[in-house]
Amino acid sequence: MYFVDRVRQRLDDTELQRNLKRTRGRNAASRAAAVAAFTDFDAVRTRATEIRASVLRDLDIWLERFEQKAAETGATVLWARDGDEACRLIIDIARRHGVRTVVKSKSMVSEEAGLNAALEQAGIRPVETDLGEYILQINDNEAPSHIIMPVIHKSKEQVSELFARVHGTAPKTDIEDLTREAREKLRPEFLGADMGLSGGNFLIAETGSVAIVTNEGNGRLCTTMPRVHVALTGIEKVVPTLDDLSTLLRILPRSATGQAITNYVSLLTGPKQAGDPDGPEHMYFVLVDGGRADLLGGDFESMLRCIRCGACMNHCPVYQTVGGHSYGWVYPGPMGSVLTPLYQGLDQALDLPQAATLCNQCSVVCPVSIPLPELMRKLREKQVERGLRPWSERLGMRLWAWVAARPWLYAIGSRIAVRYLRWLAEGRDRIQVMGVAPGWTSQRDFPAPAERTFRDLYAAQRRGGRR
Amino acid sequence: MSAGAPGSRGEVGLFVTCLVDLMRPSVAFAALKLIEAAGYTAVVPESQTCCGQPGYNSGDTGAARMLARKLIAEFERFPHVVAPSGSCAGTVRTHYPDLFADEPEWRARAEALAAKTFELTQFLVDVACVTEVPGDFTGSVTYHDSCSGLRELGVKRQPRALLDSMPGVRRIEMPDCEECCGFGGLFSIKYPDISGAIVQRKCDSIHGSGACAVALGDLGCMMNIEGRLRRTGDEFTRVIHIAELLAGMPDEAGG
Amino acid sequence: MSSARDDILGALRCRTGRGPDNAAAACAHVERTILQPRSGPRPSMPEDLVALFVERAQAMISTVDLCPDPAQVPARCARWLREQGLPLDPVVAPSLADLDWRGAGLEVRIGAAGGGDRVGVTGCFRAIAETGTLMLCSGPDSPAVNSLLPETHVAVVPRAHIVADMEAAWQAARAELAVWPRAVNFVSGPSRTADIEQTIVLGAHGPYRVHLLIVG
Repeated sequence: MYFVDRVRQRLDDTELQRNLKRTRGRNAASRAAAVAAFTDFDAVRTRATEIRASVLRDLDIWLERFEQKAAETGATVLWARDGDEACRLIIDIARRHGVRTVVKSKSMVSEEAGLNAALEQAGIRPVETDLGEYILQINDNEAPSHIIMPVIHKSKEQVSELFARVHGTAPKTDIEDLTREAREKLRPEFLGADMGLSGGNFLIAETGSVAIVTNEGNGRLCTTMPRVHVALTGIEKVVPTLDDLSTLLRILPRSATGQAITNYVSLLTGPKQAGDPDGPEHMYFVLVDGGRADLLGGDFESMLRCIRCGACMNHCPVYQTVGGHSYGWVYPGPMGSVLTPLYQGLDQALDLPQAATLCNQCSVVCPVSIPLPELMRKLREKQVERGLRPWSERLGMRLWAWVAARPWLYAIGSRIAVRYLRWLAEGRDRIQVMGVAPGWTSQRDFPAPAERTFRDLYAAQRRGGRR
Repeated sequence: MSAGAPGSRGEVGLFVTCLVDLMRPSVAFAALKLIEAAGYTAVVPESQTCCGQPGYNSGDTGAARMLARKLIAEFERFPHVVAPSGSCAGTVRTHYPDLFADEPEWRARAEALAAKTFELTQFLVDVACVTEVPGDFTGSVTYHDSCSGLRELGVKRQPRALLDSMPGVRRIEMPDCEECCGFGGLFSIKYPDISGAIVQRKCDSIHGSGACAVALGDLGCMMNIEGRLRRTGDEFTRVIHIAELLAGMPDEAGG
Repeated sequence: MSSARDDILGALRCRTGRGPDNAAAACAHVERTILQPRSGPRPSMPEDLVALFVERAQAMISTVDLCPDPAQVPARCARWLREQGLPLDPVVAPSLADLDWRGAGLEVRIGAAGGGDRVGVTGCFRAIAETGTLMLCSGPDSPAVNSLLPETHVAVVPRAHIVADMEAAWQAARAELAVWPRAVNFVSGPSRTADIEQTIVLGAHGPYRVHLLIVG
């Protein structure tokens, strides 16, 4: 299905629209309050941007430094060129350790790789443990619609109905009861699973650790209880030091949910040590490229600074209207409109860079100052360069520019345009159906132009003439 | 053209913008009146057409560059350049230099022009230090912050300060006044369903404010919002360009 | 066939313009950055870090009790558990084994929590005033599970362990810890979720309540 069809479907989905409306603006308001209450926000944002940018300049060296340090702690670092290779590596690890069940805390790279399907095919049972991700998994592996609030598109009634159907329990209406029901379902999974799979918010080169940021505590359980822990993340996530981590932690939760800090921040370094009463016996890192290396040093490098906070989508008028599923792949909103064509292929997501008003709100709130509208514009440029835009659009643009470069011709053209539009208006102050731009008049009237163009009126005035 | 009449504070090149030229000449006349009232001599280069933004936003940088060169050549001689549009002024100010990343000579000229280009209310308040305007509008007004003006140029307090200087204006803030109206240039035509849903929210916010008029600084937003209000049966809420409201000539010229 | 590692690092080197002429300098820069960690902007802190810690911890929905006399910790803990109607058989981290828990009427078990434990007691390596956060380092005497599996988490926070911010806590960890712990967990109040309709619910997968005894 194409983007416009998905959008139409979402706009017609009254239940979805109701759900979107319920939460619309809430995260933006929380973020605004958190920023207002934190006097150093702009300075931290500048430093956070610097940290992420500086790592990218020497990403190869930082990764090697991270790998060396992680190996010293007893962890194994594996590399995957793409999602498929990551899945194969993780299945190999699972087989090596006799794993039957994997408890998972949120990992967007796992979504990129389609890990759950691959595990199932290999006879290994994945269990999502983030409440939102769990809801999606039991709803026939539905896709998340937001990177940090995966079920933002669902109402509690929908969750209630789903739980009753899948768990065979009496329907509950209270969100607290629903949360408790999921907790009780998942607790035995944490205690019984052989492998825990986490994402990684940051990799710390100083200590060879992965930092995981969660509120629910499922990230801690996944990385503490099972015998094997696999941290699956992208190669761009390295940061130099623990001090840099502290800076980024001041800005990530504030940008995401308006929290000063998430309930849990876990820094995990290697497997269980001698004398440790808990923790996994084996720890692996699977570092995925998946198109990231190609962005380095090019027009889109700044996108690799992204720390996956979701602020851009929380503030995007388009995302807030069509919801995350309209975007068609793992990442929605402005960051998705940039990443999807870059990771999946320019021709695979022609609409995404176009379907934006370039209102720039995303870039204003981005904690690492990614110029998202500029990147979307750049993608539009690439589409034009590669001949991926419709010929009519390209021709129209060329023709318009050619005329606009010739003032005398432009004057004639605009005079004709005014006559034509006024003819369409049939003497009224508006046009209700306009053949040349049906998209406009399908949604709104087109105000009729004044009788004469400014240039004509002004010239007449300068000549001392009257209209 | 002279350096301005005796006593003039200097020349201001008025970039009318292609939409104003085509749709609402009265906005340009209002801008002229405001610039003159501020003590400057307004000059309108006759060969001007468009800043190239549609090409730039459509990924046709060749077209954008061609029109940018034209505009730079037309306007660089003025000490100040003013446009009654946040998005056109924003294009010159924030995007022209990027267009010439590989052409140092043009880049320098683009940067020089960018530094002296202003959105109308920004010029009136920040450069001309205007505290009084000729307009005499009476009624409640809510201001819609257009995206480029707000986020590229920082136009926020200037139009409000000028509105507040008008004794007859009762200014009311609408909820989410900084949220995009869903225009987005060609976006409004390419993705009408999304654009329509976004502008509907803007209309709801305007109604929520209870104001009888909405003022704004960009003709694109203006046509989008007015068109949606009228289509949905609101014949009463006035949609007025800030220049016309401040100059006090909403219905005189052009129509 | 080349390995994924070589391919990826090779692509990155190509993209960063890495070559023999600049590799050594870049490595040196990386090592220097790590050896001399640079702090970002750190919020200014009031003189009274304890008061700030208490305020911020309460904002994260931890409850706080001040217990000047270290010997009174078991009694204060017992009193709070009774007040809350919570079980009196906590599992206590070995680092706190020396306190007289039984004397306070608590049926304690010293060790690591299991799935059946209902109250877990821990110390803390440091506590962070900026955010009202506990910094817990895992180790033989400080199991990570005690702050994770039970529904109630009680933490003993020596006043002297309260530092301004995370940077100060890292500095202490670098200086004091002979072996870097497997897990450093920062805990700010009870576990929570807002996944359903963005409504905050406490006790998602971790503890429902976190009680802090500030000692000294």
